[in-house]
Amino acid sequence: MSYPRPTSHPYPFTAIVGQEEMKLCLLLNVVDPRIGGVMIMGHRGTGKSTAVRALAEVLPKITRLAGDPFNRAPADVPPQDPLLALVGITERPQQAEKIPVPVVDLPLGATEDRVCGTIDIEAALTMGIKRFQPGLLAQANRGFLYIDEVNLLEDHLVDLLLDVAASGWNVVEREGISVRHPARFVLVGSGNPEEGELRPQLLDRFGLHARILTITDIGQRIEIVRRRRAYDADPAAFTRQWQPQQRALQRQIVAAQKRLPQVTLPDEVLLFAAELCMVLNVDGHRGELTLARAACALAALDARTQATIDDVCRVAVPALRHRLRRDPLETTDAGDKVMQALTDLLARHNHRPLEAVSALTPT
Amino acid sequence: MVAVPSALPFTRIVGLEAARQALLLLVVNPALAGAAIAAKAGSGKSTLVRALAALLPADSPFVELPLNITEDRLIGGLDWEATLVKGVPVVEPGVLARAHGGILYVDNANRLDATITATLAEVLSSGVVRVEREGLSTVQPARFVLIATYDPDEGDLPITLLDRLGLLVPLAEEGDANVRAEVVRRHIYPDGEADETAILRGLIQAAHERLPQVHISDDQMTALMQTALALGVEGNRADVFAVEAAVASAALAGRDAVDDADLRLAVQFVLLPRATQSPADAQPSTPQLPMAPHPSSADAGPHDSPTAGERPLQELLLAAVQTVLPPHLLDLPFAERRRGRRGSRGQTLNARRGRFVRAVMGDPHTDHIALLPTLMAAAPWQRLRQPQGTTRIQVRRDDLRMKRYRDKAGTLYIFVVDASGSMAINRMREAKGAALRLLQDAYVHRDQVALIAFRGQNAQVLLPPSQSVERARRELDILPTGGGTPLASALLTAWQLAQQARQRGVANITLVLMTDGRANVGLQAPAGDRQRLRDEVQRLATRLRADAIHALVLDTQVNYLSRSEAAQLAQWLGGRYVYLPNARAEQIAQALATASVSS
Repeated sequence: MSYPRPTSHPYPFTAIVGQEEMKLCLLLNVVDPRIGGVMIMGHRGTGKSTAVRALAEVLPKITRLAGDPFNRAPADVPPQDPLLALVGITERPQQAEKIPVPVVDLPLGATEDRVCGTIDIEAALTMGIKRFQPGLLAQANRGFLYIDEVNLLEDHLVDLLLDVAASGWNVVEREGISVRHPARFVLVGSGNPEEGELRPQLLDRFGLHARILTITDIGQRIEIVRRRRAYDADPAAFTRQWQPQQRALQRQIVAAQKRLPQVTLPDEVLLFAAELCMVLNVDGHRGELTLARAACALAALDARTQATIDDVCRVAVPALRHRLRRDPLETTDAGDKVMQALTDLLARHNHRPLEAVSALTPT
Repeated sequence: MVAVPSALPFTRIVGLEAARQALLLLVVNPALAGAAIAAKAGSGKSTLVRALAALLPADSPFVELPLNITEDRLIGGLDWEATLVKGVPVVEPGVLARAHGGILYVDNANRLDATITATLAEVLSSGVVRVEREGLSTVQPARFVLIATYDPDEGDLPITLLDRLGLLVPLAEEGDANVRAEVVRRHIYPDGEADETAILRGLIQAAHERLPQVHISDDQMTALMQTALALGVEGNRADVFAVEAAVASAALAGRDAVDDADLRLAVQFVLLPRATQSPADAQPSTPQLPMAPHPSSADAGPHDSPTAGERPLQELLLAAVQTVLPPHLLDLPFAERRRGRRGSRGQTLNARRGRFVRAVMGDPHTDHIALLPTLMAAAPWQRLRQPQGTTRIQVRRDDLRMKRYRDKAGTLYIFVVDASGSMAINRMREAKGAALRLLQDAYVHRDQVALIAFRGQNAQVLLPPSQSVERARRELDILPTGGGTPLASALLTAWQLAQQARQRGVANITLVLMTDGRANVGLQAPAGDRQRLRDEVQRLATRLRADAIHALVLDTQVNYLSRSEAAQLAQWLGGRYVYLPNARAEQIAQALATASVSS
């Protein structure tokens, strides 16, 4: 038996067939990390992990201080930096370097000390000194942290990750060392609803909630298999073939990130978002906030500087479906409920109907 | 753990034809990822798998995964002895990394721990083991095919795992007497088969080399995928497996093009066992939600749709499939799961009882200390902590490791008792007796009991989930009875209680409903509207069923001839129905005991 060797060419993001909701949710978070991450729930074998792992390749590189294990931008590292000293780097490097946006994969079975960072065992053994060995949270700073099968991760670890993701800081106290380092990342979780529902408190803390289903279109399915086999046969050639699409998407992302601060949200659009949340009985204000941010990010992706009601409609389902109160008498899916509310609301506002909005193809 | 070559060569093992065929496809085409083989104990399944090792090239490892493996042995970790001797962290590869380039074999795979299964699934799809433990951070290659055998009488494989394995071999029908005789004969005279093994090894090698040239047409792929749709196969991973299986089958037969026989084999091993519906009642599947297409969705790839000429092949395939349909198609794990009756919910990680699976940092006041992991955690720091050269081991608070166990979580029994009407006093008394009886055994099973009574306008939680016999006795002293029958309200209250319990980690929930099933007070439905009253009850019952809440309906209708309603309710709930017009506490407890065994 011979196996393909582990490859340095991940499957290209642009070669993923279908699953538009998931891809859109990921891209919105790329444009504006404040959206607060995404939870992807769906059938097995629908390409959840592939999509997340493919993300790094289409993201523009970031600049960090050369060799900084916390991925900080040079401007964020003072001349006498305590964090560098803790990891054993005595002199602050002068130069900067470009690195791919980190997409850190949290494996099941990772221990808490590796997630948060701990004392460097090697330094303790060989030199008898205390040094901090940064963990996965440091590696994920300014990038993405991906947890596959969130429902199988221990609760306390999930809580810890959500806390860090919300505050942007990781604090470790161990062996008399006290470390506080930046850990700003977009949390991406995935899971299968049949493995057990997630705690609602947990769901609510993800900005967006994408649902994916098995693709039923035969043409698309054949295309999936064909691309998968072509990739498995020769990953390098396959990724080369998709280079143009990858570059185009990357340019689009760079432009959107640059445009985002200029995107405005007219009052009538904000009111529409608020009204939608009211109709759907969404508790708190996270619903409106996420809707607003996601709509602006979508406008930026679309090369516009003003978010519209259409934008709100296009992000409403993933932004709200996990925030509805669960009613056992209700047999309709939460996403369908959001769509129903949208349809009614659009009619009341004399706006074009939802089908027309969904059919909009961005420029 | 490399297996001793089996005494019996692969070619000489009789029976298990399907399993043998699947294993050959797997070694020819590792893109199939693995095989799951269901067979009874003593059928020779493990002998067959071990015999496969002899057909592999000499440098391919064959590694067996023991069931009681700990996480660190599976994934790998710090080799403490070498680390302390050499003074630098030394990684000891786990079982997964050692299987790289070969076969990993698990017998009785249905008894694997949930986290181990999840890790296996992850490594199967990524091809690498990532070690992020105890201050180590490494990535090791781990590409292997996984062979899992199990006896379905002892439970099915978790779906997470089944899903990642290309070939699934369901339980075969019992072989006839001739085959059985041949099994024995060949065990008695096992010799003279060395060249058969050599020939087969050559065949596998040749097929493996032919693989890249084997062609499968678009029509053939369409036929496979339409079959997958008709069978309600979930996810798109099965498509890839089906195509790889057909290609492997052609390669093994020495052909450069896939033919109908190859497709049939692919359907048999890949698609059929994943069926969630029988092709006869195939209906249009759930359409994709209309979603905003994202800006770059202008895919370059062609999306050719099937043309008219492809239909016959698919029909041919389905027709062929009908003849080999397993008799209990929808009892296979994928279909069972679809009905919401299974889950990995029965297990929880906890600090007090069950099987010790891992050590974590924690609070020594509430948890049990794991001594060995604690000492190991303290070891590297000794030099740092005792510069003067004292020899006493210094253990600090940070080193303390607590035991985490995995066990079967207890069950919450929710008694839902109809307190309306004239017979209510009797019903309530016996329900109370049964609840108390259950609680007396609760300490052993860690079970809890709750009691909801319904009468008048709504249902009321008389006893919230509790393990305390004393409390139950006290709370159940006052039992109001009489009035209307708000069945829907009772089901809703039970569902809410179940949701709360799930959030606290109670996984198994059983509803014990004592009623005649006749609702006359609704949630929203007006009192006289029988149809709407019925609809409410049905919808709630269906929801309870979808949430995998077990149910037992004890029909208390005294009139034997008009007892259809409780039976209907039991059917909606997917639960058991027992006719107990004058239920006694002992009878209830007994009905519960048998229901738990059969669920």
